[in-house]
Amino acid sequence: MVEALEISYRAGGTRILDGVTARFRGNAFNVILGPNGAGKSTLLKIASGLLHPTSGEVRYDGRAIGNYDPEALAKMRGVLSQHVELAFPLPVEDVVLMGRYPHYGRAPSAHDRAIVAETLALVGMHEKRAQPYPTLSGGEQQKVQLARVLSQIWNDAEPRGPVCLFLDEPTSSLDIHYQLALLEIVRAFRERRCTIIAILHDLNVASRYGDAFFLLERGRLALETDSADAIPLDLIERVFQVRAERVPGTGTAAATWQFRL
Amino acid sequence: MLRRLSFAQIYLLFGILLVAAVVASACVGAFTYTPHRIATLVGEALGWITAPPGDTLDRNVFLQLRLPRVVLAGVVGAVLGVSGTLMQGLFRNPIVEPGLVGTSSGAALGASFVFVFGSTAFTRPLGTLGVPLFAFAGAFAATMLVYRLSTSFGKVNVLTLLLAGIAVNAVCAAGTGFLSYIARDPQARNITFWNLGTFTTAEWRGVTLVSACFIACFLWSLRYGKALNALMLGEDEAAYLGIDPRRLVWQLLVVNTIMVAVATAMVGVIAFIGLVVPHLLRILRSSDYTFLLPGSAILGALLMELIDVVARVVIPPAELPIGIITALIGAPIFLSILLRQRGMHGTGVPGLDG
Repeated sequence: MVEALEISYRAGGTRILDGVTARFRGNAFNVILGPNGAGKSTLLKIASGLLHPTSGEVRYDGRAIGNYDPEALAKMRGVLSQHVELAFPLPVEDVVLMGRYPHYGRAPSAHDRAIVAETLALVGMHEKRAQPYPTLSGGEQQKVQLARVLSQIWNDAEPRGPVCLFLDEPTSSLDIHYQLALLEIVRAFRERRCTIIAILHDLNVASRYGDAFFLLERGRLALETDSADAIPLDLIERVFQVRAERVPGTGTAAATWQFRL
Repeated sequence: MLRRLSFAQIYLLFGILLVAAVVASACVGAFTYTPHRIATLVGEALGWITAPPGDTLDRNVFLQLRLPRVVLAGVVGAVLGVSGTLMQGLFRNPIVEPGLVGTSSGAALGASFVFVFGSTAFTRPLGTLGVPLFAFAGAFAATMLVYRLSTSFGKVNVLTLLLAGIAVNAVCAAGTGFLSYIARDPQARNITFWNLGTFTTAEWRGVTLVSACFIACFLWSLRYGKALNALMLGEDEAAYLGIDPRRLVWQLLVVNTIMVAVATAMVGVIAFIGLVVPHLLRILRSSDYTFLLPGSAILGALLMELIDVVARVVIPPAELPIGIITALIGAPIFLSILLRQRGMHGTGVPGLDG
């Protein structure tokens, strides 16, 4: 459902993206991989409509992203950032309700409130719904933000419209439990006509959750594949500047990568 | 205890207190009026009661001096309360108010320019609108400058914000000081007095202008409650929710500057009301902007009426400048918010943590 076609982006004379074409798989977990400075975040910001590419075009459902009005766009795609701080002690519930802003005018409907309750329960934060957001731990805050973004793209009308969820290194400040919990919740949304596009740093986590992989190297797409096993070791070694080894899985454990300098 | 009340109930509660404060403020002063006498005088002025002949002094004092002053105090309080709320939303920080971010001092500079050069060919064609127009220009330029300086990559840096505010305020104060220095005596005294805030110059024409600007800007600002809430998350997150942050910032700056500039042109610089009002509402009930915007209008008016009463009764027959009282109340609250922000983060420098 999301296509980035021939995307180039320049900022301050530097070429950040150079003719990247990525056709993200619909209703699947797409992972963008690459070292720091490869242009992953820029690609995500362009694909989500925050930045305009210098050249190239982003299409949702075959329609150029510029043809959607901002509210319509907000209803079909959500973005979970790395970390969202709040200077004011708003209760958790009010933060999640913001996800419904594109859907209502002056006051939220009972339906909006029900969605907020449902997403809060989904991320396991329903008990803390009245607690001020700044008092939560980093992991809990990120769960609340996930609930907010899920409320935003909640598609429970039949037939379901296609929606898209972008994740910009969503787990970089989370411990391993929160990382896996968050990615499990997100992955389950594939069943709800949700296309997931995530930047992940941990290659092992990525290969476990991803359905398709897009590897960026210095602003260009170096590889696009549907299987983590199909990523050549020498490409990983070159792009990330490490020595890598693929350790085959034993029993129920999946194969993993191991890295050293 | 107010946390259990609905937003509407809180508006009602503050509304009742506001009416009581207005009546009290109308009663006290050099002439004392009973509520009954006030009701009679207002009734007569509106033509509901036939006025008896003679006995015009107390009626004139009430209708031409006391009443416009009471109304002006209320409206200016509402302007400053709402402005503080809008600016805190825009800068995403509870220490912000129109005095800190340059709006008031910029307006003061623009207005004093007209006071001093008012009779020259440059400003004369603007007539009586010269003062508010120049106040708007000064206020807008100063606020925009502080916003630009303190914002980078969609985030507001508190430390830079404070420093930019200090610098811009200092430049405006220097300009105003210079103007009062080169001005002839009556104008100079005007500027000095007016720099501390005063309602003594209230007259109906000015009150009408301030009220009209306030009502228009206030109704317009009510549309931004949700957008200001979303902006708390940051400019990018607001954009993902379908809000254009750049347009929002511009619209908020214009709306806010219009009402603050016109009010400042009329009564001078009154600091800290814009800080205290939203702060109290946040403590009492909620940081939700759909609540803060109407709430800060009512509470701002209420607070200003009370302060104006204090200003008139504390050293009779003279009056205390309003700005002195608001600074006495506001500065400690400002410091306490700043210290709490420092406590919330770790480095001891609030700006370094965003």
